[in-house]
Amino acid sequence: MTGWLTGKRARIEGDSPAIRAAIQAAGAALVAGGDCDIWVHVAPPTAVKPAHELTHAEWRASLDTGLDRRFLGARDFADACRARGQGGAILFVGAPGQALGADQAAAAGALGNLTKTLGVEWARDGIRVNSILTRETGDTLGHLAAYLVSDYAAYVTGAVMGIALDD
Amino acid sequence: MPVPSHHIVATPPPFGAPPYPADIFAGQTVLVTGGGSGMGLAMAKAFAQGGAQVAVMGRSLDRAQEGAAQIAALGVRVHAMSCDVRLPEAVAAAFDEAEEALGPIGLLANNAGANFPVLAENISANAWGAVTRIAIDGTFLCSAEFARRRIARGEGGAIVVNSAQYIWTGFPGDAHSAAAKTAQATMTKKLAADWAPHGIRVNAVAAGFFPHEASVSGRREEGVEPLQNMIPAGRTGSIWEFGWLSAMTCTPLFGAMTGQVIVQDGGESLRRSLIMPDFVPPRERAEGPWGWQ
Repeated sequence: MTGWLTGKRARIEGDSPAIRAAIQAAGAALVAGGDCDIWVHVAPPTAVKPAHELTHAEWRASLDTGLDRRFLGARDFADACRARGQGGAILFVGAPGQALGADQAAAAGALGNLTKTLGVEWARDGIRVNSILTRETGDTLGHLAAYLVSDYAAYVTGAVMGIALDD
Repeated sequence: MPVPSHHIVATPPPFGAPPYPADIFAGQTVLVTGGGSGMGLAMAKAFAQGGAQVAVMGRSLDRAQEGAAQIAALGVRVHAMSCDVRLPEAVAAAFDEAEEALGPIGLLANNAGANFPVLAENISANAWGAVTRIAIDGTFLCSAEFARRRIARGEGGAIVVNSAQYIWTGFPGDAHSAAAKTAQATMTKKLAADWAPHGIRVNAVAAGFFPHEASVSGRREEGVEPLQNMIPAGRTGSIWEFGWLSAMTCTPLFGAMTGQVIVQDGGESLRRSLIMPDFVPPRERAEGPWGWQ
C-alpha cells in the first residue's frame, strides 16, 4: 500500500480505525477541514429493532446519517473539487441493507443507487464515488477503502461492494 | 467526438508501478485460463508482478506460449499449455501438468471466454454452446478442480473470475455472452459460500471496456480513440488496471473479501437518461448488433 495515496489529503467523517490506519499507511495526510482530495463517510451501525418499534425520530436519525448527510457532504466536497479544478474520490462506508433494521435497509438501498448516480454525474469532473456496504471492520476494510480512493481505482466509479459472504 | 478539454479524466499509475510489493505472491503459483492474450494475459502479468509463477492455459498452445514468453520477461517461472476448459478430464490433466511443472496451484484466474456481436436469432447451437460453456462450464470445472486439490491439501486459496459490466442489464446484440457472464457472477457468490469453510476465496471483476489487440471491439479502422468519450470516465480502461484489481482480490491485502463482484467499468454500465436517442433494434442497426461492429 506504500505510496497509494502519497500527496493526497483525506477527510474521514465518522469512525473506522481500520480505514483511518490504512489511509494513513498509504501516505495520505488526514485533514479535519479545508481542501481535501478524498472524502470518506463512515456511518455507524444503527440499532436493530423491528420496524414497528422504530420511532419516527429513530428512523429519521438513521436516514440523516445513512443518507442525507452523505449526499450533502458529497455535494459540498464535489463543489470544492470543481472550484479547485481538480478531481477527487468519495467513499461511503456502512452496513449492508439487510443487516440491521428497516431504517438501514432504506438508507443502504438509497445510498447504493445514489452512488451509481453521482458516479456518472461527476465522472467528467474527475470525481469518483463508490460504496462499501459491509459488516466487516478489520484490515480488509481499511485496505479496500484505501484502494478505492487511490488512483489505482481510477476506472472504478459508481461501484457498490461488500467484503464478507453475507454483505 | 474527443473528450472535451475541460473535462477531468482520472488515470491509473503506469504498468511499472503495481499496487502491491513484488513478492506478495512469492512461492505461489497461479493458473490463468485464456491467459495467452488479452484480459487473461493482463491478469497473468499482474500476478507475475506480485511474484507468482504462472501456468498459462489456452485453447491454442501457440498463443499460450506467446503470452507465457511475455510473462516470463517479468522474471517469473511460467508454463504454457493447451486445454479445452469445457472438458473435465482435460481440465484435470492440465492441472496435473501445471502442478508437475510449477508445483501446487494456489491461485486461479478464470478468464477463458469467447465473445462476438451477433443477433440472437443468428446464434447457432454451436455458437451458443461455445460462448456459454467456455464461460459457465469452464469456470465451474476449473474452479471445482482447483478447490478439490486445495481441500485435499488442507490449504486455502483464492479464485478470481473475469465477468462483465453488462451482467445486471442484459446486452442486446450479445445474448450468449450476456447469459454466460452473469452465470459467472452468480456462481461466484455460491462458490465462495461453498468453499469458505476451506479458506478458499472467490471474487469476480465485472469488467468494462479494456481494449486489447485480441478484442473484437478493438478491431476498428479508426482504433479505439473515438470511443473514449462514450464512457462516463472519459476513457476506455487500461488493461493493466484490470489485471491489478483481479490480482489484488487474491492478495492478503483483501484477505477477508469473498463472494464479491466488483464492477470496474468507468461508469459505462450506469449511463442513462430519461430522454435518450431513438431506440433501434439490434437487427436494424446500420453498423451491426453492437451498434458499430
